[in-house]
Amino acid sequence: MSNGIDLLEPRKKATPPSAPVPPEPTEDAGSQALSEALRSSFVIVKVVLVIMVLVFLAQGFFVVQPQEKAVILRLGNPVSKGGKVLLEPGAHWAFPYPIDEVVRIPVGQVQTIRSTVGWYRTTAAMEAAGTLPPAPESLNPAQEGYVLTADGNIIHVKGELRYRIAEPGLDYKFLFADASNAVLNAFNNALIYASATYTADDALSRDVGGFRERVRLQLERTIAEQKLGIAVDQIDVQASAPLKLRQAFAAVSEAEARRGKTLLDARSAANQALSQAQGEAAIRIAAGESDKTRMEQFVKAEANRFSSLLPEYRKNPALFRNLRQSEALQRIFANPQVEKFMVPTRGGNPREIRIQLNREPEKLKTLEPPKGDAH
Amino acid sequence: MKRNPITITIGVLLLFIFGLLLIFFQVRTTEVAMVTTFGKPTRPVTEPGAYLKWPWPIQQVYKFDKRIHNFESKFEQVFTADGHSLMIKIYAGWHIAQPQAFFPRFGDSVTRLEDALSGLARSAYSGVVGTHSFSDFVSTDEKQLKFEQIEQEILQHLQKDVQAKGYGVEVNFIGIKRIGLPESVTKLVFERMQAERQLQVQRIESEGRREASDIRTAANLTSAKVLAEADNEAARIRGEGDKLAAASLQVLDQEPELGKFLIQLRALEDFLKDRTTLILDTQTSPLNLLNGSPSSSTTTRSGPKVSSNVQE
Repeated sequence: MSNGIDLLEPRKKATPPSAPVPPEPTEDAGSQALSEALRSSFVIVKVVLVIMVLVFLAQGFFVVQPQEKAVILRLGNPVSKGGKVLLEPGAHWAFPYPIDEVVRIPVGQVQTIRSTVGWYRTTAAMEAAGTLPPAPESLNPAQEGYVLTADGNIIHVKGELRYRIAEPGLDYKFLFADASNAVLNAFNNALIYASATYTADDALSRDVGGFRERVRLQLERTIAEQKLGIAVDQIDVQASAPLKLRQAFAAVSEAEARRGKTLLDARSAANQALSQAQGEAAIRIAAGESDKTRMEQFVKAEANRFSSLLPEYRKNPALFRNLRQSEALQRIFANPQVEKFMVPTRGGNPREIRIQLNREPEKLKTLEPPKGDAH
Repeated sequence: MKRNPITITIGVLLLFIFGLLLIFFQVRTTEVAMVTTFGKPTRPVTEPGAYLKWPWPIQQVYKFDKRIHNFESKFEQVFTADGHSLMIKIYAGWHIAQPQAFFPRFGDSVTRLEDALSGLARSAYSGVVGTHSFSDFVSTDEKQLKFEQIEQEILQHLQKDVQAKGYGVEVNFIGIKRIGLPESVTKLVFERMQAERQLQVQRIESEGRREASDIRTAANLTSAKVLAEADNEAARIRGEGDKLAAASLQVLDQEPELGKFLIQLRALEDFLKDRTTLILDTQTSPLNLLNGSPSSSTTTRSGPKVSSNVQE
């Protein structure tokens, strides 16, 4: 306890003068008061010290938020409890610094980065307004971003990557000084690589999905190779023709659209022709059918007539013929549609006749008595 | 005094802690450290943990971030093996591996190291690019494309150089960040692209026309075929009718003469159904009757509607 006395320097100083008490009694009272004061202040100091120790210990409590995990570094080394390094969300305790240090890792929180190394020079205001910067005649590499495509063309490409730190997330935090920058560079690289394998037309319009997939594949490969420790959530890739060639590219799409329309027209005309032909075919077949029926009916009728006339004919064929012939001629001559001319003979020789083969117009049909001009 | 044990303990503890702070230092898992004795580097520390040292001013500790740092080269023009000029920019991930080698050269300045790296990187990529042709960088054929191989070669080149220099640094990876063309070349590329687009427009249009005419031709062909088939079918059906008719006509075999006569008669009547001009010789039966007794017969035969004038 002698050490303790050493610490209480003021009190020690106060006691020696108490031996020669008589000369200054007031001083003794004063020193007593001082001693009292010191004693009480010492109590205060003790309380403060205890509070400080409590605060010191209480500082060891910390809360891990739901969207993060944490790691305790004890004397610089990650502490693992039962093989687990990551602390789950909730309340935890660690020794205060410098023994322990709590490192929070935002595992699961989606982070977004944008790659614009391949994009033309523009401003945020222009982007917001949707206006394009003036089209340069050539691209100054210091100012304009672009990529080279597989067919040696130039296009602009930009992308947005959403990713999360994959568990355990220690690499992301402890392996990289600036992990998000490393991720961005991996993304830039993937865009450059994908462009180098795609033709301008494919990347711009024909195979946009495939292009994006190529970017993703390359990015995943780099993530694995460089141990970036992230999981890709979503990739958006946007490609644009050089500003100066936008019109030329638009002309190509217009030509494509026109071709589409021409083909559509041709197809509809073809369909129409085909359905017309099918209709016509049906008509022709139907005509065949009706001819067949008519023929059948006719022959049947003829056969019936024959059968019914046969007995009569057999009685006297010559008379039958004459009778029938005359009947028929009568019907023919009675038909007003038939004009008849008779060429009389002279001395048994038929006379020469000349026929002008020029049919009279239809209207003559209406004339009641057909004119007979025989010559 | 008797009431001081707590006080004393706390005091000793504080002293102890203070003393510890003077002689201990801590290296985090992300760090490496260099201990200097009177300014001279004496002891590198590469593993995390707590270590002892003599208090200042005897020994001093310099700590370095040993995590992977990002380095980016300039965007520079280099030449390919086949004489194209290409602009290239690479990025690299590097970290401090040996503080004892790093510290004497660069102190604790990362910038100074990056300047040094910049030169090494330039020699690495210009060397590697010079051994490849332009088509190794961009190609639709993945077999021909040597993009990743080139990156690998640059990395090896750079790693070798950095190791040879003994900077105490290791390069973890490199990647191509940008590839471009010199500004004057971009203009030519634009012109070529423009011409290509125009050709493309022409090709698309002529292709469209050709395809359309192909479609029309094919349709016409199909239509003709459909009609021809229909005609065939109709002929077949008619043939069927004829066959059936032939079967019915067998009845006529009983008296062919009568059959022939009846059919002739029917045919004659059918033939003369419509507007017809008939020129008859008076020799023809039954007009030959006229030759016998002219006037009476004419009137009876022709009836009221027939008027025939015979002129001499």
